Amino acid sequence: MYNFLFYFLIELFGVAFMILSFSVVLVYLTIMVLSALEMRDFRKKNKYADYQDIITSPIAPGVSIIAPAFNEASNIVQNAKSLLSLHYGRFEVIIVNDGSKDDTLQRLIEAFELKKTDYAFHPELESQPIRGIYKSPNKSFRRLIVVDKENGGKADALNAGINISQMEILACIDVDCILSSDSITRMVRPFMEETNRKVIAVGGAIGIANNCDVKDGTVTKYRAPETTLGRFQVIEYCRAFLMGRMAWSRINGLMLISGAFGFFKRDLVMAVGGYFPKTVGEDMELVVRMRRYMEEKKIPYKVSFIPDPLCWTEVPEDQDVLSRQRNRWMRGTIETLQLHRKIGFNPRYGILGMISYPFWALFEKFAPIIEIVGLIYTLILMVIGDFSAVYFLGLLLMVYLLSLMVSSFSLLYEQIAFNNYKDRKDLNRLIWIILLEPILIHPKVVLWGIRGHIDFIIGKGGWGKMIRTGFKTAEDRKNIETQSNSI
Amino acid sequence: MLESFGQGGLSRLEDSISLVKEIKQQENIPSLTYRLEFPFKDSSSQFLSDSTYSWSQTDSSYISKQFSNGKEIDSLFQSLPADSIDLRFFVFDERSDVSGVASYLETLYNTGDFILSEDQQRPEKDLVLMASRNHYEPLDEYKNKLLSDKGLFSVTLINFLFIFLSICMIIFMVIFKRKRNQKEDNIKDFENEIIEPLTSILFEKSLEEIKEMTPEMISSIYPKQIFQKRLFKKVLIDKIISLNKKMKGDFKDKLKVLYKKFGLVDITKANLKHRHWDNVVSGLVQVNEMDLRDLLPLVKEHSQSSNFHVRSQAGATLLNLSEKVDLKFLRDQNYPLSDWQQMHYLRIIKFVAATKSLNIPILFSSENQSVREFGVKLVRMLGRMDLIEELHKINDQVLDEEKVELIKTYDVLGAHMEVDFINQCMSSDYPELKKEAIKCAGNLGNEESEKILLDLLEQEPDFQSRKNLLQSLFKLNQQTFDVFISNHPNQENLAIQAHLLDPVLNHV
Repeated sequence: MYNFLFYFLIELFGVAFMILSFSVVLVYLTIMVLSALEMRDFRKKNKYADYQDIITSPIAPGVSIIAPAFNEASNIVQNAKSLLSLHYGRFEVIIVNDGSKDDTLQRLIEAFELKKTDYAFHPELESQPIRGIYKSPNKSFRRLIVVDKENGGKADALNAGINISQMEILACIDVDCILSSDSITRMVRPFMEETNRKVIAVGGAIGIANNCDVKDGTVTKYRAPETTLGRFQVIEYCRAFLMGRMAWSRINGLMLISGAFGFFKRDLVMAVGGYFPKTVGEDMELVVRMRRYMEEKKIPYKVSFIPDPLCWTEVPEDQDVLSRQRNRWMRGTIETLQLHRKIGFNPRYGILGMISYPFWALFEKFAPIIEIVGLIYTLILMVIGDFSAVYFLGLLLMVYLLSLMVSSFSLLYEQIAFNNYKDRKDLNRLIWIILLEPILIHPKVVLWGIRGHIDFIIGKGGWGKMIRTGFKTAEDRKNIETQSNSI
Repeated sequence: MLESFGQGGLSRLEDSISLVKEIKQQENIPSLTYRLEFPFKDSSSQFLSDSTYSWSQTDSSYISKQFSNGKEIDSLFQSLPADSIDLRFFVFDERSDVSGVASYLETLYNTGDFILSEDQQRPEKDLVLMASRNHYEPLDEYKNKLLSDKGLFSVTLINFLFIFLSICMIIFMVIFKRKRNQKEDNIKDFENEIIEPLTSILFEKSLEEIKEMTPEMISSIYPKQIFQKRLFKKVLIDKIISLNKKMKGDFKDKLKVLYKKFGLVDITKANLKHRHWDNVVSGLVQVNEMDLRDLLPLVKEHSQSSNFHVRSQAGATLLNLSEKVDLKFLRDQNYPLSDWQQMHYLRIIKFVAATKSLNIPILFSSENQSVREFGVKLVRMLGRMDLIEELHKINDQVLDEEKVELIKTYDVLGAHMEVDFINQCMSSDYPELKKEAIKCAGNLGNEESEKILLDLLEQEPDFQSRKNLLQSLFKLNQQTFDVFISNHPNQENLAIQAHLLDPVLNHV
């Protein structure tokens, strides 16, 4: 009896893995086609768009940029100045000092001649107590508001900033991101264009600034990062932003807008209760909640995506830091999907419930588990002597080729749409990483994902520490390296 | 199975004649040899010294060396007295008689090591015919594993597909990059080719001189072969439009004349009729930038296009180029106007307002709500105080969303005469209208407004509404404000008071 059950399960798993493998292939091919169509349309639409009017037009919406800062003393003044110099007419910059233990606030006070004000507001969204709201009497810094509050995490800091904000669009960003000077004009466009549906949020592509030259708040020269992990993330970001999100945007199925650079309708964020501070995946959770709200109210809506490189960030090149980041992302995904499990396979929620949610559950949340189970299954087959090496190698080759194809397609996109990595050497390095990623890096990513699951189960939380080396040009980096070598 | 190929198998080799005849047809039969035997009686014969046979002496005869090629038998016998020579067979070097040889051949035949001469010579066609008549059953050992395992077959097929797609993608990437680089190089070359003759015409010739030049004369400033190229004309159009944006006065007119003389209008016309919307938009941009008024009827056809970008650009072109900007096309718009469209139209209307008479009130009668709202916004943004009377007429006829725009307009234009309407809106159930009216009352309100503000404050509104009310009251009458705060010194009111009195918040 048990013997029969065992072999029945073996057969069942075999069929399940087979179906799963083919559905992975099918899904990624569909994503490739959808993103290609979306990219084509986007480029056509952008051809004649005039972004000059929007800077001064009284019709353009006001934007509140909210940037939480925690222990960012080393770069905070430079970052705040960069935000204040963005090209747009009506905007305010709200920097939320989230109980920094260093002198972040002091540096801001000194650099912008800030004074504590009697700013009256009602904390509609819950957050940790606010110690003070600062503004500068210097009219040059009239757009700047600094909120000093007790530490409560990123989502909590964003909620505090939203309470203070005055404009109709919220731009929630990471303070250490580099924003292109025309980032607001481009991100605001979808909010202004749509008439039949309400645009509730707009996401932007994030570029990787490691090893690139940065001048006046814009990346002027792209270079592939110097480490394997850095280069892997370039490919990964191409896949995620230029392919994945473009495809989801095509069918209005976007469930995630990067927390580093996302624009939202303020009234709707307030209506759904702002960010949920108890999750580490606050960015995804907010988008899902906003979408859920719109679906339940039956209001036509859209979540848009702009693939232009408008925001750059430094990605971790250290394995420990990257593993913590991936662990956090996984926990964030699990938490969001758990919180909103009601929408899964629920036709009432349209594309969100029937396509986006199942995709995220199967291909993001459970992906590492499925891969590990697949490995165990293969080992069992080996032990019981039912293992077909040809079959196994065939499947392995299929997965490898799929990865190769998807990655090279996303890099091709980058080359067609933006052509940022112009140097052939950089391109060769990235192609090399595409070839090696499934063998060298993917197993680690699976492992980090599994750890995320374990940490979620045992209730281990937190953000981990992001060690930043600062945005340096390759030349600066070389100098530093030379100095350290000579020492 | 094998016997079916022969006619009766080896049964016909049973007699020695048939057997020898068959052996004579065979070049080599494994381990079967033969020798020639010659009795002693003719020992004087000359052929005994022939080295071909290498005769050796036995007790009663001479015997030749071993031969294996059956086809040589007849030639060996030719130089010998055939009647006195015997043919002896050896199987594995052991002498064998006819039946032994026949039995040996049968064994070889069954293992497939011996094929009858007749079967060897049988035409291939016959073999196929025979095979087709025969029921075929593949042996298990030859069964194709790949084809029999559906899963493996699918995986292999997908792998081939992926390899094919990957190769295609890489080839496409290489071709695309090369083509794009080539195109970029061509564009650069064309730009260099274009700029010098174009600027020399612009600076050396007067407008009248350019007008007098024939299209052939103008086209001849560029080599004919290059001028025929589509890409060259595209670059030329872009260059002229770009120069037109940068230059002023006489130069603009010259560029417009040149555009026509180069025959580029035909390209614009073709673009306007193109089935791809992005080409139509290109055509509309060209009409707009080059003042191609003759093409306005074609432009008008696109003003109600279902494509947002086409109708936006068509609208902008009509606004820019129409002699009489009566805004009729805008009034008749079926699709809602987006903020993006309004922004562009506003810029153009601001630009043409100084030179053309605009019939803004026509928009108030549009059936399209967004157009009516845009009409009110135009009054505000163009500072048209003269239209306040027109707005007054629609105060009570419009929807709450439009009233919001009316209130904003009265506020910006300082329309004190509309205070009653403002006061009325302060009690609206539509929150946005109420908020705007309260804000406006701070600037334009009267005693009645003050009373309404105080009444609303007594109704214990939420914090944001209270802040708006107190802000307006503070602006309208600071004394009343102070009295209210002193009578209601709760935490929220005091906080708002502190906010309103904070010098940094109020003066920066």
